Amino acid sequence: MKKRALGIYAALALAFLHLPLAVLVVFSFNSGRFTVWEGISLRWYSAALNDPQLAEGLLNSVIIAIVASVLATVIGTMAAYGMWKRSARVLEGGMLLSLVTPEIVTGVSLLALFQWVFRFLHLHLGMYTVIIAHVAFSIAYVMIVVSARLRGVDRSLEEAAMDLGANQWCAFFRVTLPGILPAVIAAALLALVVSFDDYVITSLVAGVDSETLPMVIYAMARRGVSPMVNAVSALILVLFGALIVLAERMREQ
Amino acid sequence: MKRRAFLLAAGAAASCARDRRPRLNVFNWSSYIDPATIDRFEQDFGVRVRYGTYESNEEMLAKAITGNSGWDVVFPTHSRLDPMARNGLLAPLDHRRLPSLGNLDRRFQAPAWDRELRWGIPYMWNGTGIAYNRAQVAAPRTWSALWDPKLKGRITMLDDPEDMIGACLLKLGYPFSSTDERELQAAKAEAVRQKALLRAYLNAEVRDQLVAGDVLAAQMWSTTTAQAIHAGANLGFVYPEDGYPLYCDCACVLRESTRYELAHEFLDYLLRPGVAAANARVADTATANGAAQKMLPNDPILYPPEEIYARGVWPPSLPSAAQRYRDRLWTEIKAA
Amino acid sequence: MNPRSWFLLPARVWMALFFAAPLAIVCAYSFLTRGDYGGVEYPWTFESYTRLADPLYLAILWRSLWIAGLSTAICVALGFPLALFVSRAGKRKNLYLQLVLLPFWTSFLVRTYAWLFILRDTGLINTVLSALHIIHSPLPLLYNDGAVLLGLVYSFLPFFVLPMYATLERLDPALAEAAADLGAPPWRTLWRVVIPVSKPGIIAGAVLVFIPCLGAYLTPDLLGGGKSVMLGNLVQNQFTTARDWPFGAAASLVLMLAGAILLVLLTTRRETKRLL
Repeated sequence: MKKRALGIYAALALAFLHLPLAVLVVFSFNSGRFTVWEGISLRWYSAALNDPQLAEGLLNSVIIAIVASVLATVIGTMAAYGMWKRSARVLEGGMLLSLVTPEIVTGVSLLALFQWVFRFLHLHLGMYTVIIAHVAFSIAYVMIVVSARLRGVDRSLEEAAMDLGANQWCAFFRVTLPGILPAVIAAALLALVVSFDDYVITSLVAGVDSETLPMVIYAMARRGVSPMVNAVSALILVLFGALIVLAERMREQ
Repeated sequence: MKRRAFLLAAGAAASCARDRRPRLNVFNWSSYIDPATIDRFEQDFGVRVRYGTYESNEEMLAKAITGNSGWDVVFPTHSRLDPMARNGLLAPLDHRRLPSLGNLDRRFQAPAWDRELRWGIPYMWNGTGIAYNRAQVAAPRTWSALWDPKLKGRITMLDDPEDMIGACLLKLGYPFSSTDERELQAAKAEAVRQKALLRAYLNAEVRDQLVAGDVLAAQMWSTTTAQAIHAGANLGFVYPEDGYPLYCDCACVLRESTRYELAHEFLDYLLRPGVAAANARVADTATANGAAQKMLPNDPILYPPEEIYARGVWPPSLPSAAQRYRDRLWTEIKAA
Repeated sequence: MNPRSWFLLPARVWMALFFAAPLAIVCAYSFLTRGDYGGVEYPWTFESYTRLADPLYLAILWRSLWIAGLSTAICVALGFPLALFVSRAGKRKNLYLQLVLLPFWTSFLVRTYAWLFILRDTGLINTVLSALHIIHSPLPLLYNDGAVLLGLVYSFLPFFVLPMYATLERLDPALAEAAADLGAPPWRTLWRVVIPVSKPGIIAGAVLVFIPCLGAYLTPDLLGGGKSVMLGNLVQNQFTTARDWPFGAAASLVLMLAGAILLVLLTTRRETKRLL
């Protein structure tokens, strides 16, 4: 009985989480420009697919998200591993502090840093500054997820491997890492999502060539040209929904 | 291993075949230009234009202030020209490179904020007034219409301290850009009084609610309202009789830019009547280009007739202390 | 250098360069004076901090703490059963987890705008309710504290569900079974066995919700109609419209201090430290 009640509750909760998405998708088919229903139309989808700014924003977002999440996952996993057996207080504290920092502060402070550095190096803001910023705030997330998993790992496995002659690196790559791989992948996914959806920090440190999808969408939404935004969001949903289903199929095999 | 090396080499070769045309980086408000303008400029002058957009002056300023944002041309609102110039962010314009300057409307040939047109070329302009739902509300006449108790809960004001506090000042008969503390405190009292009747502080997002009838009267920019009306909404717009602010966005060249001549060619291109008219048509905004204006329909919302225009003021940039005082008031109003 | 230091090196370098150094700059900013159009100038001064001691800002801080606390409590209450369900879903665990995360792939701003449509006077809820003749005039669901709470809970629920799920997943089912064997009804098992054991997860999840709620500005702005000021709005405003970076820096350092204190209190408790 309790299982059923819990199931009903979960269905309601998930419905709550997905209600705005449903609204979004429905209105992406609205033929009118305002959020007043006027009839069905695909015009916003064709507008979205033909918009060069959107296409470019999407490409930039994907590139930045992939590079940033790979870097953050590598750095964060290594850090979590290093902190596993003996804590590194300062680093850990710093990472947790980065979680507590408001986005605008992270963005403005990095902008200030770049401004100062660029005076000497004669560089400009660009994709790389966005990537640097994204990695900086993602590392903490990765570290937390991987650390949590590492706590459940038996240390004696590594010790046994090292007794048998493996060095630290070998022990990590061939003994521990395979065991925590699901957590590492989960952390990478988290870093990917966080990077893909970021607006505040990105808009501050983005350069001339590095407009991302959230920046494009934000600009559109503020102007009130919403139906195209809805179409884009619906397309993104379909894309990621498909990816998830695919991942599930692969996992089951 | 071999495949990787090949791909790397191919990538390097491809980058060598990259665009060698001169580049110009233009940072403008969103939806403020005809995309064809950029394409034609690129073709006619054999250059490549990198076009970026922003939603607020502050966003643009945050980049420009770094001194190496990478942008060449920006479009600040007129009240920002003076501080930007004083902070050494703008390059003085060379009129010899701008032969089409005469196309500007006579009102903008020597504007109050930049008499010699030294820092920026007026591009597009708009004013703030009252947008209302024509089906349910009679045309308002003064700012006090937004304090009408009959419209309780269906009124919005702009989420902008300058516009919002300014409207309160005008309602009381004080100047829009007053720095007198007594007057500002009175304006603050008005704003706090209005909060009981106010639905929310909203910018362009209120458009949908105006159309749907949730909101009956809103403090709104003329361009946003005109755009909604042209898209079929049953809205009206009024420039209040007690006065209203006008804003002009000007094309400027950043001092950090290394493409001074090319930037000027772009500014001059924007001044061509056909080009300016096309931009104004797409942006659905009032253009400062007199020659272009003749080619466009005369929309009284975008181009208020002379008697109404005379009531408008161009807010100047305020001194730092006044700015701070107003900001403090803004926080107090919001927190009340 | 021993291998462990090599593992820690990239993180140390990155955080030092791109977190600690910028943060030091922000600290310095908080002691400087406001530049005319953004940026900072000399002289050094404590002014930003003394300004913060004003009752106006203390009221804002208090209000932010209150709303963040309430949002967190609601997230815990709503999120715990959901996490419990997912952790017990057997083979479909991952699928449900992905379903919880799916909304996050669309833009945060766009989702919030969707809520605007759902909640407003001519929006989804009011239209449906009046069509069913349950109400005769629209309910004011938008531009008030309730809407802000809804928005915050909506945005941060997954932040609670994920760590809660992580804890519950590793829970030994034998515990609950033992309690049931000893005759405890399901509610009693939940209240006296499952919840106390998963307390570290609850606390960790609550912190992960509370801290961003404290600094949130977009949700209170959009769903609250800009009619009230929370700490996040204050900070945001200082760095944009008000162009008072020193004051914004001081306010955000206070915000970070509140969060840091919470984290320190957390990490000194061994059970929760293991979770973080």
